[in-house]
Amino acid sequence: MSELNLVQAIGTALRRAMTEDARVLLLGEDVGLNGGVFRASDGLYKSFGDGRVLDTPLAEAGIVGISIGLAVQGFRPVAEIQFAGFAYTCIDQLLNHASRMRARTRGRFTCPMVVRTPAGGGIHAVEHHSESPEAIFAHIPGLKVVTPSSPQRAYGLLLSAIRDPDPVIFLEPTRLYRAAREAVSDDGVGLPLDRCNILRSGRDVTLVSWGAMLIETLEAAERLASDNIDAEVIDVTTLKPLDSTTIVDSVARTGRLVIVHEAPMTCGVGAEIAARVASRGLGSLLAPIERVTGFDTMMPYPRTEAFYMPGVDRVLAAVRRTMGYT
Amino acid sequence: MGAATVTTVAQFTIPFTRIVDADGEAVAGLPAFAEDQNQLIALYRAMVLTRTFDAKAIALQRTGRLGTYASSLGQEAVAVGAAAAMRPTDVLVPSYREHGAQLWRGVTLKELFLYWGGDERGNDFAGPRQDFPCCVPVGSHVPHAVGAALAFRLRGEKRAAVCVFGDGATSKGDVAEALNMAGVWKAPIVFIINNNGWAISMPRAKQSAAETLAQKAIAAGIAAEQVDGNDVIAVRLVVERALERARSDCGPTVIEAVTYRLSDHTTADDARRYRDDAEVSIHWAEEPIARLRRHLARREAWSKEQEEALLETCHRDVEEAAASYLETPPLPPTQIFDHVYAVLPADLAEQRELLTSPRGEER
Amino acid sequence: MNTFNLPDLGEGLQEAELVSWHVNVGDHVVADQPLVSVETAKAVVEVPSPCSGRIARLIGEPGDIIKVGAPIVEFTDDGIADQDAGTVVGTLPRVPHYEKQPHLQAVAEGAEHLPMKASPAARALAHELGISLTSIEGTGPGGTITRADVEAKADTKPQGDGYELLRGVRRAMAVNMARSAIEVASSTVSDEVLIGHWPRHTDVTVRLIRAVVAGCRAEPALNAWFDKARMARKFHANIDLGLAMNIGDGLFAPVLRNVAARTDRDIRASIDALKQDIAARKVEPATLAGPTITLSNFGMLGGREASLAIVPPQVAILGAGRIFDTVQPVNGEIRITKALPLSLTFDHRVVTGAEAVRFLSAALAELAKPT
Repeated sequence: MSELNLVQAIGTALRRAMTEDARVLLLGEDVGLNGGVFRASDGLYKSFGDGRVLDTPLAEAGIVGISIGLAVQGFRPVAEIQFAGFAYTCIDQLLNHASRMRARTRGRFTCPMVVRTPAGGGIHAVEHHSESPEAIFAHIPGLKVVTPSSPQRAYGLLLSAIRDPDPVIFLEPTRLYRAAREAVSDDGVGLPLDRCNILRSGRDVTLVSWGAMLIETLEAAERLASDNIDAEVIDVTTLKPLDSTTIVDSVARTGRLVIVHEAPMTCGVGAEIAARVASRGLGSLLAPIERVTGFDTMMPYPRTEAFYMPGVDRVLAAVRRTMGYT
Repeated sequence: MGAATVTTVAQFTIPFTRIVDADGEAVAGLPAFAEDQNQLIALYRAMVLTRTFDAKAIALQRTGRLGTYASSLGQEAVAVGAAAAMRPTDVLVPSYREHGAQLWRGVTLKELFLYWGGDERGNDFAGPRQDFPCCVPVGSHVPHAVGAALAFRLRGEKRAAVCVFGDGATSKGDVAEALNMAGVWKAPIVFIINNNGWAISMPRAKQSAAETLAQKAIAAGIAAEQVDGNDVIAVRLVVERALERARSDCGPTVIEAVTYRLSDHTTADDARRYRDDAEVSIHWAEEPIARLRRHLARREAWSKEQEEALLETCHRDVEEAAASYLETPPLPPTQIFDHVYAVLPADLAEQRELLTSPRGEER
Repeated sequence: MNTFNLPDLGEGLQEAELVSWHVNVGDHVVADQPLVSVETAKAVVEVPSPCSGRIARLIGEPGDIIKVGAPIVEFTDDGIADQDAGTVVGTLPRVPHYEKQPHLQAVAEGAEHLPMKASPAARALAHELGISLTSIEGTGPGGTITRADVEAKADTKPQGDGYELLRGVRRAMAVNMARSAIEVASSTVSDEVLIGHWPRHTDVTVRLIRAVVAGCRAEPALNAWFDKARMARKFHANIDLGLAMNIGDGLFAPVLRNVAARTDRDIRASIDALKQDIAARKVEPATLAGPTITLSNFGMLGGREASLAIVPPQVAILGAGRIFDTVQPVNGEIRITKALPLSLTFDHRVVTGAEAVRFLSAALAELAKPT
């Protein structure tokens, strides 16, 4: 077992997947010789050659489009889109084709493909490089949307995504790429793609988040503990299909829900979670549901980026508001 | 101080192929398959069947029994010629106006009626299992075709993809990206531009300032040519040659088949709003079915009895398929949820219950 | 309306057989477009349209003999406007004309969010208890009615028909036992152990706790939690023992954390302290939370064997009945001694009979020791 950061865990999962299944291909800009701009595919070109790792021309929609053709023909393409902000141009191919290929051919054609892309801000990057588009993809029937929050989970989730018979959007939190290392077991075990992960058990309030915001959320839980407020922290992990049962059950025990996400508030995945809890667990709520999210603005340029990102203080304030209700 | 010396670093030519002219007269040497009148008759029969199906589809639409339908009137040679050049193991990636190609490749008349009638079973081809269904978002299927061709190359298979799209599609970014990638990877693919002169109301001249659409291939570094799209012999010939090249690892080709859309864009369009009847009349003189018939007649290879018998057979086959389609009940409503994913997630299973619970109520 | 007659087909032919129509009623056709194929004596001929127009009527069926000069097609001359479907796919329904409603002024922006009259949980509780919210004064933020407010009202509310509302611990028991009965697949195995040789003043409860520890060591499957939603179980390294106590009106099961690592004296001291806290209503909710297995020394009150209720997610509860006098044959002689009955109730969804018996045997063996 080695100590790996998230991007290394991704690379380990890719290597494992490509080793165990000859149908798995990696394609994208700079993924081959360069090993990926974040080094996610470092060493894979050397090991597997240009029959398995394809450096593509600069054409995101085309990359996803040919991945669809490859998937229909029986390969398992893993397409890397260099930044989530460049994936918008792929929405046509994903929404109009990948997501519905199985349904419109009644299963004659299927699309077992993964689109991996770094998402999220907090890395002081130039504009367009800090996007959180999960809600856009989560809205589309026929896709799955997954975002890891730790190296070991990234490993297990990516393996499952690659093995999944349907198209999966795998959003990799850029801010977590090199944030922390942990022991990652290269055991080939995939994690389920329809399950939330409870990272911390608690009695007083349910904190729900995903991706890099788990850093702030877990920190908030720590600080709350010293005030004798016991927070349960849930990492949604798979935004679509959404495991609302785990969240509803948690709120049934705590009575308070705070949802934390970086993406803008309106129509974010937090809205969907809030709606499901209000629909299935209304009677358990002690306090109004709180959402701590990015504002309904563009991610500002790096110099004011920190004011946009939902910080620990905003999470704590939201929790305290809910704790006012008993 | 002399004048600067300018050298030419690249040039291109776009060849044009026609074998048989509008009067049915051979204006170039006949390829081997065209010497065999049975092969030509097969092409003729296929085009007539396509057109018969086409007329029936329009009739069904007009009487509310088929959805909006895109006629291929006048463009039968492009579809039939291309399909006839393909092998069964090749893969067809059509737009939505290649009914003749789909029929040649084994898609049934009933499957076509089902698709245009709004039933997904129309895409579950019993015959050509790997051919793609129609693609509605213009040009977005071209990258898929390149992906499929790339799959053949990666697996070392001697197979090729044939992707057909219209003149309008050549303006799309997806198409440019696909051509470029096909060129870079020498994908075994033949692109056919079904240039019928119109993209709904946009005439070809306003769609692109390029002299030919085929030359967009030059920008992608791949072979380019034009063919008379109303000459099924020429179409089959050039597509065959391009497929040979593709399979022999000589790379892709773009073939611009120049034809004419004798119909409206779809049954919901009225082309009189933007196009002169007089222009359409002129193009009727060049249409592919009459042309081949005249050629066969010249060779005394087609008789009146054969013509009548063919019309009757096509009519009967189309009527039979239409009746079968009309008798087919729609899929049960819960089928909306089948095939969304390989395994239905729990929250979708709950939604499906809204269709099956006695009063369809939310619980 | 224009009628098109079958034109002269040449060669003196007077009639032809209609073979196949190429157009439909309603089609717009242009000049020179083939309308129909007819068969003459010599050939099958396509008859082109003489003009542009819309087909109003097709006269004749395949097989009909049409005379030259007879009408075959009727055209109608519709304006473009009438035919315009105004769409390129599908059909747009034509909406009936409706009376325009005057615009309503949007309500002015109010506070960020309105204070809740009662939280959904308080509201649900009030409904369950049959209490009207209007009769309650809220003490939560902004005057929100809280659950505590509802419960306080419930306390003072007479039932009137002889029934007394269950509150607090009794209420919790009703809820928990019902849940246990529905969910758990309860099985009980019982046995007894001779303890006549125990020293006097043996702390029975502590010996029983040691027996539970021995059982857990022999069979860790009984010191586990079961998550039925996930069909998963979680083994616990530590034994956090719930110790059932009847104090006053209620049944409490405070948790002794990590009993395996504690001394007898420490355990006894904790038990005594807990009893006092519970009697004084001073116990923290955390003290009652998360037992991995429970022990009920119900024998202190009476009874020999019992099938006890398991509270999920636990999978086992060990019950000890009243110590009783019994006879034991030793070398042919009758000796009077004491026996301690044990009943082990386990959740058969998760624990096998063999596992239960292994646990029980180890517990008995531990109890059989002199000290």
